[in-house]
Amino acid sequence: MTAVLRPPRTALERRTGERVAERTTARSAVGLAGALAVFGFFATLLTLAAFHSVVVSGQFEFDRLQQRLEDGHERAQVLRAEVARLESPGRILEVAGGRLGLVYPERIFLYSVVPGDPLTMLPAPVGDPFSRSYR
Amino acid sequence: MSRQPDGSAALGRGAATSVPDRETQKRFGRRAVVVGLVLTLVAGLFGWRLTGLQLLEPDRFVAHGEAQRIRTVQLRAGRGAIVDRNGVDLVLSVPGQSMVANPRRVEDPARAARALAQVLGADREVLERRLSSDRSFVYLGRQVSDEVAVATLALDITGVYVEEEWVRVRPGEDSALAVLGRTDIDSNGISGLELVYDGLLSGTDGEKVVEVGMRGASIPGGEYSVEPASDGRTLVLTLDRALQFEAERLLLEGVDSAGGQGGVLIAMRPATGEILASATVKRSSDGTVHISSEHRSVTWTYEPGSIIKPLTFSAILDRAVAAPHTVREVPPRLDVHDATFSDAPFHETEEFTVAEIMRRSSNVGTILWSLELGPEALHEQLREFGLGSVTDLDFPGEARGILPSVGEWSGTSLPTIAIGQGVSTTPLQMLTAYAALANGGIRPAPTLVLGTRDDRGMFDPRRPGPSMTVVPAAVAAEVVAMMEQVVATGTGTRGQVPGYRVAGKTGTAWKPSPTGGYGSKGDRAYVASFAGFLPAEAPQLAVLVVVDEPSGQAYSGGRVAAPVFAQFSRFAVRQLRIPSEEERVGLDEEGRVIALTPARHALLREAAEAARFEESGGVVASSATGG
Repeated sequence: MTAVLRPPRTALERRTGERVAERTTARSAVGLAGALAVFGFFATLLTLAAFHSVVVSGQFEFDRLQQRLEDGHERAQVLRAEVARLESPGRILEVAGGRLGLVYPERIFLYSVVPGDPLTMLPAPVGDPFSRSYR
Repeated sequence: MSRQPDGSAALGRGAATSVPDRETQKRFGRRAVVVGLVLTLVAGLFGWRLTGLQLLEPDRFVAHGEAQRIRTVQLRAGRGAIVDRNGVDLVLSVPGQSMVANPRRVEDPARAARALAQVLGADREVLERRLSSDRSFVYLGRQVSDEVAVATLALDITGVYVEEEWVRVRPGEDSALAVLGRTDIDSNGISGLELVYDGLLSGTDGEKVVEVGMRGASIPGGEYSVEPASDGRTLVLTLDRALQFEAERLLLEGVDSAGGQGGVLIAMRPATGEILASATVKRSSDGTVHISSEHRSVTWTYEPGSIIKPLTFSAILDRAVAAPHTVREVPPRLDVHDATFSDAPFHETEEFTVAEIMRRSSNVGTILWSLELGPEALHEQLREFGLGSVTDLDFPGEARGILPSVGEWSGTSLPTIAIGQGVSTTPLQMLTAYAALANGGIRPAPTLVLGTRDDRGMFDPRRPGPSMTVVPAAVAAEVVAMMEQVVATGTGTRGQVPGYRVAGKTGTAWKPSPTGGYGSKGDRAYVASFAGFLPAEAPQLAVLVVVDEPSGQAYSGGRVAAPVFAQFSRFAVRQLRIPSEEERVGLDEEGRVIALTPARHALLREAAEAARFEESGGVVASSATGG
């Protein structure tokens, strides 16, 4: 085989080659930087989206809790009124006289103030004293 | 060989033909100018519009944008509750709902009104008129029940909504209605304590500004500000719910059995003027007796009759005109000026001590001593007891009564006023005067309010009203001793309370006729009353019972009002943990336990907390209590 003799590279060709090589190197660097920038951009976007999603869900939770708080306040108020109604002497008298058929005794014995009246509550009755099975 | 570059070769083939000629260049230039001008014009239009939007009228568009996404929600302050001295709710607000509509969105008002009328139980024509109006908000039904609201929404009428609002409720229904008063449908106080303390109870509305999205959810990070509503303060009354209920129950029974037209019962702590119960009942046109919504304890005036005698004798003893044991001859009749006064029951001319005159409730004896006392002294004493002037209760519609000045007195005024006729008082004025005697001569300022609580439970006590000494303690003690005999063996024996020494006085006053005068015997109307306090040696409870126009065989204060006093007091001493004479023996012995009322218990706990708060230099916050 005969080796092909290449003509010796001229100075212009050498300079051109160097420029191409430099350009290729620069282009690679720019490409890498661009890719990184694009990646960074999308990563930031994703992070922001994730953060936003957390904030949105937090806001929803906040709204929900606030609503629950308001509902709780209202419910407490309704229950408070119901307790007061159930405890009112008029209702107790009505139930005692009407449903339970109790009557006033001819003579009323009132409890003694002292001694031994330390405001301790009587134990609550076990079971429902008005149920048939209890009777 | 020359290596000069060839210009044509460099441009390539045909380069010579692609060079635009001059005409083409001109045409291209013109087009460029036109396009440029159009673009400039469009840009100018955009610029002009932008300038208009951003600079000339930005507020309008900003407002438009805000209106779409920024929502201002009014936070309605809850009206404060009214509780009794033990923290029991007497009046409070609960969430309710009203049916409202935006008539502009209702497509067929007539049809909607027809459907709504059935559910709401309202007049169809009224609903149709409201739904046909050009307003954007009308009420269809205020404060409807849950069932009605659900049924209304089930109709699925466009433009009909539910609006939440607070509804005022009284768990005890009509109990203490006259004292508590009422609010209108918008929860504004219109009578009673609801009116007097409307400013404190109402609170201050708040506001919440939020940026919302399409579905009404808050936009995270959007505009958000909250000015919280400040709920009204809780009003803590001096009333005791149990005492109030029992007072009303017994008074209803007492007035009904006596055939009376109405009645009043007031209970007070003499030392502080705290009103524990204030009941008013009235007979309606159908003949039934019911709890009245008028607080007649302070709005009604009547001639008190003989229950004024302890006040008259206070003046007599204070001016040293007589002493309890001073004796004088008392005839059965006495003529003064053009009037004749007599005693009932009849007695011969006898020698009575002052105490005996009081025990028998002798008109003639009282008049004889008051004639020696003189009009100025009697008038001054009655005025000091509080007659003829409004109390410090500050209740709407409170009457001052009539105590004519001495210059207006006629020849019969002195004897008449001395026995409680020709002068008019409110029941509260009389009870306050009795409280003064029970309190060692110091007249307390009556009050219905202990204080207020904020929504964190911090209690702010009401500053007590001014009290004044009207008679020396020694004189008050002498009068109290005479009043004890009235209950022990005199006209007020039905006012006895087992286990307690009671001081009291009966009164059976003639009621002025609408046509003038007091009517004739057999055709006379009376006001029966009994006022007293116990335990007489250290009074803790003063009670006045008045029965208006008893029509039965028994109409005297001793037979009509005293039994109600006794029954109520028997209950009250237990409720207030007032020990009887027997129970008080050895009360201070070690190991004995004194029961406390819930109110007293709460007071002691708060005092202990306040002491701890002081000791800790204000670091420890006081805990909230009920109410």
